[in-house]
Formats: sequence, structure tokens, C-alpha cells
Amino acid sequence: MTERLSSGHPRLDDLLGGGLPANSINMVIGLPGTGKTILAQQYVFANASQERPALYLATVSEPFDKILRYGQTLRFFDPEAVGHSVFYEDLGTLLNERGLAGVLEQVSELIKQRRPGLIVIDSFKALSAYAEGAEFREFLHDFAGRLSAVATSSLWIGEYGEDEIGPAPEFAVADAIISLSTARAAERETRMLRILKLRGSAFAPGRHAYRLSADGIDVFPRLADTLDITSYPLDGSRSSSGIAALDEMLADGYWPGSSTLCAGPSGCGKTLMALHFIFNGVRQGEPGVLATLQEHPTQLARIVQGFGWSTDEKGVELMYRSPVDLYIDEWVYELLEAVERTGARRVVIDSLTDLRLAAPDEVRFREYMYSLVQRFSRQRVSLFMTSELADLFEVRRLSEFGISHLSDNVVLLQYIREQASVRRALTVLKTRASRHEPEIREFRITPEGIVLGDPFVAEAADQNEPRGH
Amino acid sequence: MAGDLAVYSMGAVERMLGIPAATVRNWEERYGLVKPGRSQGGHRLYTRAEVEQLRFVKERLDQGLQPAEAHRLLGEQLERGGNFRAPEEGQPGPRLLILLAERDPYAAEFAEFFLRTEGYEVVVALDADDAARKLEQRLPQLAVVELLISGGTGAELCRRLKEAGVTACLAISTLGARDQALAAGADAFLEKPLDPLQLVSTVKDLLGESAFLQGATSR
Repeated sequence: MTERLSSGHPRLDDLLGGGLPANSINMVIGLPGTGKTILAQQYVFANASQERPALYLATVSEPFDKILRYGQTLRFFDPEAVGHSVFYEDLGTLLNERGLAGVLEQVSELIKQRRPGLIVIDSFKALSAYAEGAEFREFLHDFAGRLSAVATSSLWIGEYGEDEIGPAPEFAVADAIISLSTARAAERETRMLRILKLRGSAFAPGRHAYRLSADGIDVFPRLADTLDITSYPLDGSRSSSGIAALDEMLADGYWPGSSTLCAGPSGCGKTLMALHFIFNGVRQGEPGVLATLQEHPTQLARIVQGFGWSTDEKGVELMYRSPVDLYIDEWVYELLEAVERTGARRVVIDSLTDLRLAAPDEVRFREYMYSLVQRFSRQRVSLFMTSELADLFEVRRLSEFGISHLSDNVVLLQYIREQASVRRALTVLKTRASRHEPEIREFRITPEGIVLGDPFVAEAADQNEPRGH
Repeated sequence: MAGDLAVYSMGAVERMLGIPAATVRNWEERYGLVKPGRSQGGHRLYTRAEVEQLRFVKERLDQGLQPAEAHRLLGEQLERGGNFRAPEEGQPGPRLLILLAERDPYAAEFAEFFLRTEGYEVVVALDADDAARKLEQRLPQLAVVELLISGGTGAELCRRLKEAGVTACLAISTLGARDQALAAGADAFLEKPLDPLQLVSTVKDLLGESAFLQGATSR
């Protein structure tokens, strides 16, 4: 297997099939402010050792002192390594006095003296201003030849846009190209990392969200799992919905690892149904994660308390995030981490409507939900999702996100108009690989939670009349 | 000469030769042959030549002689004007020669530099014909041969060099052609690009120690 150069960030390395190939020429491109220098420094400190030091060569667009000054604000920056395993050199003066020939000579000398395992050129694009056409190509050939002649990896940093990849000859030389950019949707901006080229290795395609902090770049790989057709164990056990009468309608509950969509208009009882699901799981010894974008923890604690439960109960992990400025990429990894950490067997997402707003586009939202449903299913983690319907009385459309197709079970909650009052009704629309009672049943919200009543009779249903009334 | 200007403390001599300080002092008193100068504080200071005289004694002891006999031989050597001066560092007499047959001038430049800093003499040949000419001029102890040199005739060059009497052949290639290289008589194989430390340590493995140390122990 090809030796790899780690970024020090496991998720970024995973995107690159294990890391950048060692002893290769790699380009990190992006407009100013996208974090190129931070990423380069991350590679430097993750790989530098006294035997294989890292060389950071500043040219003319990144002032040498600034690289060091801001570098020190990064948590992984180790001042004690500077001068021992990390060497910063300023090529700016040399470049201005002797041009590219001076750079070639100096880099050769530094390779001989320092024997580096990693060389960063920041900025490489600045070098192109010192020669044109054939002269720059000649320099490029010479430079790449020197770097390829010894076991060293290099990162060429440049303020290139993705549209420059075709015409600029340096991209043909590069073994890997990582692009950093910003995607804008309405007032939201999301940083996006994309691998445009990786010689001799598979990589994760598409745009992957990332954040910049003092810890460096934190990447959230796009969740786009491909179909996994390998089998996984199933047994005949069932997961109770937490509502006895509903379990009866579902032939004794849901399959473990199944996904359930609960759709209904505002205030109809979706969150309460989700709470039944979570707290019943806790009673059965199945820990759960309640991922809510709806109620603030204080509000939720009060609601939960009203039904005799507590959000402080052992086995319940509350993951509240405000839908404002939420990014689905990051949120999904937090959820996956919470499930792994707590050993959760049940997960509630309340609600998909809020989560959809956190996705830059519908395709990405569907990709994420498809992948989540698949992952949880294989882990036998039962998923319960709520979705808000705009129609209060006459439901015309169930789910605008296509999630009902993905879900194993679909439960519809709706209001039924009755003269001057409104009643609530529940219908199990779908249970995959299981029978269910296709009835419309009235339900009430009591201090014990949801209590199902009688089915509406056929004739009466037309008139919104339950049987026996 | 730089080597004669240097002086070494008793502790340094002890570390360099592995002879206890008390033994060295005892030899000085008993045989009076190696008599170092003294610092202002009265500490013994050995010249490089004196270190080499003690090394001469140590080597005789290692061969099974008694200290008295070893010192008698040392005395004879000194009477004959035996030269115990250490050669200048970096020039250990006729240095071990490495023939570097490498088609890539950049790779050749770096490999030559790394080997020279270890004290080896290096001649570079950028194609197989050039390597043959260099071979006629002086027989190298070791050859580093890029297998893709001159249209991929590196393995054949390896075989010819070994037949001509080159002690060891280190084959190098970007291709994982290890088996092919060893079948052609190469003694070791390294994949390119070369890591300087790995190159030097492999050469040392094949020749035994660095050129500096070889020069010192062979005297």
C-alpha cells in the first residue's frame, strides 16, 4: 500500500483514502480566507520530526512574519518544534533579487541540509509572476524534478479558483489537488472542501463542509453512503412505540432498526409520540438520543415532566441545537457521535422540517437522510422522525422531502373537524415488512400521554365521526 | 593538521577506545610510552596521535597479546617513526568509492551529496556506457544502480559490475522490481524516491560502517 501523509485529522484522511500519498506534489487552492495556510500548517505539525523535518517556505504573497504570528494562535502550533523539526524560511527577498533560478538553487540546498519529509510553498501562485509561458513551464519541470528526486512530500499553496485548473500548467504536475471554497445559500455561508484530483487512489467525491478553528480544519465528510447490499442479522423482536394501542395496530410495535416517519400538522402530538418512543425505550433498557431542533431544553423539560418523565433520566441523551445557523453536515456527525458514545438503540429527530432548512439544497438533504437511515438500520438503531404538514385538516401531500419513501413506517396525525370542535386522528399508512391495521383512530392527549380511542367508522369517517358516536 | 591540533580529555579517550581511565594511567606509569600533556589544572590532554597510539595497544590486546608485549610493539613502531596521526576528518586515506549510476540528474545530485557527507567518494554516471567507462578508471567498492538507466538496462549493468569485481550492488527503482534486481545479482534494493537516511544506512549495511569509521578502524 502507498505510504500516506496524514493531516492529523482522521476524517480528512478518510476522504483522501487514508491521507495524501507520501512523496507526492499536492496543491491546496482557494481564495483568500479559505484556510489554506491553516491546513498547510496542520500537515506540517502532524508530520514533522527531527529525522524528517518540515520546511515552510514563504514566497511573496504570504508575509513571513504573518504566517508565524497567526500560526501561533493555532493549538497544534508547537513553538519548541520551530528550529528543530519545523523550519520556516523566507524566499521573498531571494525571489525578488534572483528570480526563479534563485528559488531552485535555494530549495535544492535546503533539501540537502534539512532532508525534509515535507515542504510547503506558500504561495506557489506568486512564483508564476516571475516568469511567463515556456519559461515558467521550464521552471516547473525543473522544480518538480528536484522535489520528486528525493523522498519528500510537498504542498503548493495558491490563491487559485477552480476555473484556473485547466489553463495553469502546475495543476498537471500535481498528484493531488484540494480545493477550499465557500458556498452561499441565501445569507448562509458554508465552507466547502473538495478533492479535485488524487493520483493512484480513490477519494470521497463531492463537496465536504468544514469549519476553521484554533484546532485547524475540522471536516464533515458529505454523508452519501452508497447502497450496501451485504446482509446483516435480523430477528423477530419488536420495539414498542410506547403506546399500547398503537403497538397493536403495528402488529406489536416496530422492527428494531426500522425508521418511522410521523407526519402531522402543528400541535397535533408528533413530539409527544416521539417522547413515548424514547422513554419507552429507556424503560426497556434501550438508551436513546433525542435530537431536537424544536423545543429549548427548558421548555422540553417542562413538557416531559407533565407526562411523568424526565430529561435527566439515565439513558436519555438530549441533543438540542438551534435551527438558526445550523449546518446539517456538522449536525449529522454530532448525532452519529452521540449514538456511538451512548450506545443508543433509539433515536428521535424532531423535526425534519427544521433540519431541511439546515441543508444547502434538497439533494444534499435527501443524501444525508438516506445515509442516516441506512446506517442506523444496519446498526439496529430504531429511528423516529417527525415532519410538519402544512395542511391542518385535509392532508394532500405527506412529505415534500421524499422521506416517506425511505421510511419503513409512516404514521399520519391529523385534525378532524367536528362542528365547533377539533379532534385528533392517527393513521398507520405504511409498515414495511409487517402487517398493520389501516384504520383512522381518534386519539387524545392525557396526562399519561397519547391514548388511542376507537376507529372512525367508514360512514362516519366521511363525516368525521368515530364509531359508536 | 587539524587532527593533531585537537586534544582529548581522559574521559573522551575512555569513551572512544573503551579502555578504563585507571588502566590508561597505569600503562603510562608502567611503560612510559604514551605520555599526554597536562592542562593548567593538571588534567591529562591527549593529542589525536596519542589516541591512535593507545588504539594500537588496544587492538593488540584484542588480538590476545599481553599489555607488556603490546607496548613493546608500540615502542618499536615509534622508534621506526610510525605515523600515528589521524587523517583529516572527511578524508580517510583512499576513501571507499561508490559508483552512482543514475539517469535522473536531480536524483543523482541529491544521492551524491548524501553519500559524500558520509565520507564516501562518489562518481556519477548518467548512463550505462558512462558507468562502464568509470568502472575502467577505478574499481568501486559499491555501485548504486538505477534499474531504468539507459532504457531499462540497470539489471544487466548490475550483473556486469559484480562480474568486474564490485563488492556490492544496490539496485534502486521507482518500479517495485526487487526480485528482478536481486536475480541480476544486486545485493539490496531500494524503492525511489530515496530517503536520505535509508540510502545511507543501506550503503553502510553493505560496506560496514561509514567511510569515516572504516578509515579509522582500517589503519
